[in-house]
Amino acid sequence: MSKTKLYVAIYVLLFVLATAQVLVEFAGLEYWTAMAAILALSFVKALFVAGYYQHLRYEPRSLTYLMATGLLAALALTIAASYSIT
Amino acid sequence: MKSDDSPTDDTIDGSPTGTDAGTERAGRTPADTDGGRTATDGGHAADGGHASTGGRVTAATAEGELVTPGQAGTDAGTDTDHGHGLPPLGSVRRYLITTNHKDVGVLYIVTALFFLIFGGVLALLMRVQLWGPGESLLSAGAYNQAVSIHGLIMVFWFLSPFAFGFANYVVPLQIGAKDLAFPRLNALSYWLYAASGLLLGVSFFQGASFAGGWTMYAPLNLPTYTPEVGSTTAVLALLLFVVSITVSSVNFLTTMHRMRAEGLTLRRLPLFTWTILLTAWMMLFAFAALLAALMILSADRLLGTTYFSFTEGGSLLWAHLFWFFGHPEVYIVFFPALGVMAETFQTFTGKRLVGRKWFIASMVLVALQSFGVWMHHMFLTSINLQVKTLFMATTIGISLPFDLMVFSLIYTMIKGRIRFATPFLFSFGALVLFIVGGITGVFLGAVVLDYEFRGTYWVVAHFHYVMVGGVTALVGGLYYWYPKITGKMYDEFLGKVHFALYFVGFNLVYFPMFLAWETPRRVFDYPPGLAPWHKIATIGAFVLGASFLVMFYNLSTSLFTGEDAGDDPWKYVTTAEWTVPSPPPLENFPGIPTYRSGSIDFLSEDERPALGGGEPAADGGHAAESTKSGLTDGGVADAEAVAARSGAESASTPSSQGEGHRGSHAPEDGEDEHEDHASIWPLAIGVGAFAFLLGASGFQGGEFAGGIAGAFYAWVLAIGALITGGSLVGMTRERFTGPSGPFGESWPFDGIENVKTGVWIFLASDVILFGAFIGSYVFIRVANGWIGWEPIPHDPIPGLINTYLLLTSSFSVVLAMVAAEKGSKKGVVGSLIVTIALGIGFLVNKGIEWQELLHEGLWLSTNVRTSTFFLTTGLHALHVIAGLAIAVYMLVRASRGAYLDDERPIEYFGLYWHFVDIVWLFLFPLFYIL
Repeated sequence: MSKTKLYVAIYVLLFVLATAQVLVEFAGLEYWTAMAAILALSFVKALFVAGYYQHLRYEPRSLTYLMATGLLAALALTIAASYSIT
Repeated sequence: MKSDDSPTDDTIDGSPTGTDAGTERAGRTPADTDGGRTATDGGHAADGGHASTGGRVTAATAEGELVTPGQAGTDAGTDTDHGHGLPPLGSVRRYLITTNHKDVGVLYIVTALFFLIFGGVLALLMRVQLWGPGESLLSAGAYNQAVSIHGLIMVFWFLSPFAFGFANYVVPLQIGAKDLAFPRLNALSYWLYAASGLLLGVSFFQGASFAGGWTMYAPLNLPTYTPEVGSTTAVLALLLFVVSITVSSVNFLTTMHRMRAEGLTLRRLPLFTWTILLTAWMMLFAFAALLAALMILSADRLLGTTYFSFTEGGSLLWAHLFWFFGHPEVYIVFFPALGVMAETFQTFTGKRLVGRKWFIASMVLVALQSFGVWMHHMFLTSINLQVKTLFMATTIGISLPFDLMVFSLIYTMIKGRIRFATPFLFSFGALVLFIVGGITGVFLGAVVLDYEFRGTYWVVAHFHYVMVGGVTALVGGLYYWYPKITGKMYDEFLGKVHFALYFVGFNLVYFPMFLAWETPRRVFDYPPGLAPWHKIATIGAFVLGASFLVMFYNLSTSLFTGEDAGDDPWKYVTTAEWTVPSPPPLENFPGIPTYRSGSIDFLSEDERPALGGGEPAADGGHAAESTKSGLTDGGVADAEAVAARSGAESASTPSSQGEGHRGSHAPEDGEDEHEDHASIWPLAIGVGAFAFLLGASGFQGGEFAGGIAGAFYAWVLAIGALITGGSLVGMTRERFTGPSGPFGESWPFDGIENVKTGVWIFLASDVILFGAFIGSYVFIRVANGWIGWEPIPHDPIPGLINTYLLLTSSFSVVLAMVAAEKGSKKGVVGSLIVTIALGIGFLVNKGIEWQELLHEGLWLSTNVRTSTFFLTTGLHALHVIAGLAIAVYMLVRASRGAYLDDERPIEYFGLYWHFVDIVWLFLFPLFYIL
């Protein structure tokens, strides 16, 4: 697959996933199930954008670790802070 | 201990006899030992011709560290000041336009010392007030301001900038770089820092400055409690300071990871540079959280959002955000001091640091752990007991690596032969003080004890022993590097007098605070029985303050009357800054620094092919692909040829990108192109930012006050915006050549050129910024009850449309890059137009949605739900607008045919744009669906 075709394919996929995300909301699932599905779809989309459009897949792994570290720190803050008031 | 800690093989006779600094150097006597060791001796011979090229200086190498023998530097001939647009060293104008790391370092040091005096005078005012219980030199309000601004100045405007003055000056020298990766951004960091400091000073004249304590706890940080315009100015000043820090972190990290000399692997990195490396990483992540906190606070103050006045957790939210930054901040200010201690302990004991690699490992561990202890500042809040217990454990845990470091320093003294020169005295003093500060801190880490100690002078005493203990080492650093920076030797006797007064004064002021620990913190009334201790403390404070008069006298007179220091006045040094003249020439080295042999050598241009075949030099990106393994010979293309500046300006440095998306490929025919060292734009941006924020301070609750004052602020804001915007454009359009690669060691970012590395590092901090915004939203929603929280927009469809628009715009940026690769100008221009149109469409769609919500009476200040919605998506919209500004600029350039031979600027813009897209992928479900 040529590069351009790959980019097009990913674009189509992202479009579909974005639509699916809203459909999940209207599918009448139980709240927490729907929430998990919706957030999972966000992560999947983000991974595709980062992996291919930002071509992290083809870069030295250090960049991925760098971004993962940032994400981890942000999650640590969010989760620990929220847990602290439960 | 491992074999490399064995005591004897690298001990050197430390007697500083014999050589007269700068004139005659004994040849090195490397302790060429088992390959694990290093000798330390900086001797070398000298005057006259440059050492440079190939003038190999022997020295032992070490697995752990490199020795840098001297090479002879010359003052003449190496400084290529002319031709770089810089006025001479003595001129004031030079310091207004310089981008050279050494000049910027001096600016930082001098400015930080000014803030030391500023903060110190505030402290003395407080101490006078505390002479007896309830004395009243200052009014209650003035005392609160003095307490608050003293803390803010010392922590932010003095300590870190003081350390980063040294970092600016020394780190490039230690790693063998000619400058930082982005010299103009470095100057920009400085000017933003200076502007922020000025703004803080101005705040005193706007009613009153901030009076809610340096921690700015909510709700004291809200206009209800601190209504003065000056309070807002102080908050905005800190915001600007954080921006400066972020720019600086990105710059230092890119430099230290990407631009090390060949052979200078991280394992061999000098300890001071190691501490700065870790400090910069902590700064990158920690300050991003503070940036989020301050942005939200500014929004609460200026726009009327209600985050921190949210009664179910607003003040806890501030505490979480602030201390998530605040605890790493303790190490951010302390690590550079630790670096100075490590360097000076080695130099003045003539002994390599015992357990060096464990010392480094401990620091890495602390840097990581520092992000997992913040809630020990919140033991007296309503957070649950489980989390308190967890954070008590992590807090006690973080003291362990410090124990190792302390023992390592002590053992180094035992094994070495100590010379009690002034820098060592201060470093040694710092160690003693830090031990006291550290041990008293362990008490505070225990939940039950903290219940008793919190808010008392125990805390005040403890953190002054730690923080001012750090200052002690940095003062040692000032004496240590003063000869390098000025070329003159300070007066040793006065240096020792300073130390004696300082150490006595320090303990007189802070130790009684432990004994009078029942004094409530930040309050000037206390039980009368404690008065004797406070009187002693006040006397001590004046002794401590007076000791600095000795220092200022010593250092300023020595500038004129001091003896010439020579390249290396200390003899047993281990780092590269001592191998070049004092002060070092503009571009630092007489050749290409390399550590291939294990010690530093300077290669001439002639030797360049041996280094790596003289790859053409476009920085990193492509050429440097070949430089995967730094250590191998050959692989490391220093074609950079750093232009083998053998002394004069024969440099034919292949130019490459400067900072602003300009990346042109290197001239192929080796045409001469110098690196630039001057730009007026950083100063101009600083001026603009100052005016802009000063104007913004007059904005409260979504509007300017009426009357002349309101009009004044509005005008200042507008003028500031114009200057800032114009200067940014000016800087982008300026032709500026920074250091270009390929460089020696670039792990772990080999093959990722500087600008790209910088963009990614910046994005990592942006992850924390948005993470903290989203985290704040999640926290408030959890506090409010997750389920009962309805999204503000009634309909997710407009949000979905915006998702489509952004995804499509990401796709069109990708197409622009593909078109550029194919050399299609039409494709590039067309794709950029589509991107811009989609971005504008996104904003218009959002504008319509906001308009409708406004008509329903929902706006920023309506309630905490609307606050989180508008502010978080608003921050994202600002990112979109910034991206559009860049895209428009690129469109103009693309229409003139740019990017066809070098698509990297489009690629880097894409990295940012896709990131903004990714953020939206999370904001959309969180704010529209869930």
